[in-house]
Amino acid sequence: MATVNITVNGKSHSVDVSPETLLVELIREKLRLTGTHVGCDTSQCGACVVHVDSAAVKSCTMLAVSADGAKVTTIEGLASGAGLHPMQAAFREHHGLQCGFCTPGMIMSAVDMVNRKGNELDERTIREELEGNICRCTGYHNIVKAVGAGARAMKGGGKTARAAE
Amino acid sequence: MSATGIGAAVRRKEDQRFITGTGNYTSDISRPGEVRAYFVRSPHAHATIKKVDTKAAEKMPGVVAVLTGADLAGDKIGGLICGWAVSSKDGSPMKAGAHPAIAVDKVRCVGDQVALVLAETLGQARDAAEKVKVEYGVLPSVVDPAKTQASGAPQIHDVAPNNTIYDWHLGDKAATDAAFASAKHVTKLDIVNNRLVPNAMEPRAAIAEYDQGNDSLTLWNTSQNPHVARLVISAFIGMAPEHKLRVIAPDVGGGFGSKIFIYPEEVVALWACAAREAAGEMGLGPFGGLSHRCAWPRSRHACGACDRRQP
Ligand code: FES
Ligand code: FES
Repeated sequence: MATVNITVNGKSHSVDVSPETLLVELIREKLRLTGTHVGCDTSQCGACVVHVDSAAVKSCTMLAVSADGAKVTTIEGLASGAGLHPMQAAFREHHGLQCGFCTPGMIMSAVDMVNRKGNELDERTIREELEGNICRCTGYHNIVKAVGAGARAMKGGGKTARAAE
Repeated sequence: MSATGIGAAVRRKEDQRFITGTGNYTSDISRPGEVRAYFVRSPHAHATIKKVDTKAAEKMPGVVAVLTGADLAGDKIGGLICGWAVSSKDGSPMKAGAHPAIAVDKVRCVGDQVALVLAETLGQARDAAEKVKVEYGVLPSVVDPAKTQASGAPQIHDVAPNNTIYDWHLGDKAATDAAFASAKHVTKLDIVNNRLVPNAMEPRAAIAEYDQGNDSLTLWNTSQNPHVARLVISAFIGMAPEHKLRVIAPDVGGGFGSKIFIYPEEVVALWACAAREAAGEMGLGPFGGLSHRCAWPRSRHACGACDRRQP
């Protein structure tokens, strides 16, 4: 057993885990934040994307012990307050989801994309940047629209949404 | 275009929970006292099972039980059925081989279930599964559908010579032959159906629970049709009478048809619960004193492997 001290969505936790525990297992099973999904556990689908110290990470590919001392944001902690984060609102507005299984990872990747690339994202950039996130329902078209709209909506206030980190 | 009538956008009610990470998919469910299940699967496409030795696995940390196809057969749990029977052109019924939820004396595809390990954590179940010793007698296999009916091709099911389950014809043969005979030009071509891989983003998962008070079973699974699942698992597989079995499909992360079928893991999860209950009552070793819940969490590997068994 190892002890991991970790801040998730602004709340600090001290969690005992066996050394092989993945970050996604800690998040889902120990903290019961089940919005972060596992679609493959082999680093391909992106359903498990969270932010670790302000960078998008596939949490199925990181050991929980490697996240010791880190500040993590999951889909549950993205919005500040009761409302929706602009990227969440854009996904709903543009029908960027169907079954919703890929959606948390998509939204977390999209917010990270805006943080790195700014608020004006062209379609090509969005499609390239979403390479690590797979959706089987939508055909991506509306996801791309949602990310572009969400990015613009984040203008000025986007980074504050990550204050929880 | 009115604000609420024809032409107005209709907001989906489920989106709110999906975009905030508060959906409820099968793998998100956790029941008090649950144990985790992990399957030992065949690495061979075609082999006899000579021996399954579970002793070393049973001694591994956290292990609650290791169950095999023989245990399943001993409890008279029926095999999986094909939901759509097709007769041959001569009227004979289709020759569907048995499909036990855990293989008994033979495996017929890579990924066929051979044993089930139940443990306190998934990691423990996975570690213990590596200690299950299965002795296989490897048989020749055939992996190209076009070659399955060649003479000398290995026969997979005893009941289906030539690996032919049915020879189905539709339409008016005489009229079709006549039309071709009088046609000015005839083109011949082979039409090959590609393999369908629905591959939803949410891998399959199942969690089963036994309720002592009502003597009833509940199954949560990644299902597109829980009602049919209940009927089949009850009436055909014989798990429990229908009024003693509840099947719940919570949020489903895509299915594309693949989650219509009844899968072995779901049957085995239910049976493992019931078996543990029965054994607990009899005071048998590893089952006693534990609550009876069995969760089989998602596994992409298992999903791919099992998809191969779809009719
Ligand atoms: S679950 Fe992490 S990439 Fe698919
Ligand atoms: S919405 Fe179903 S996988 Fe993307």
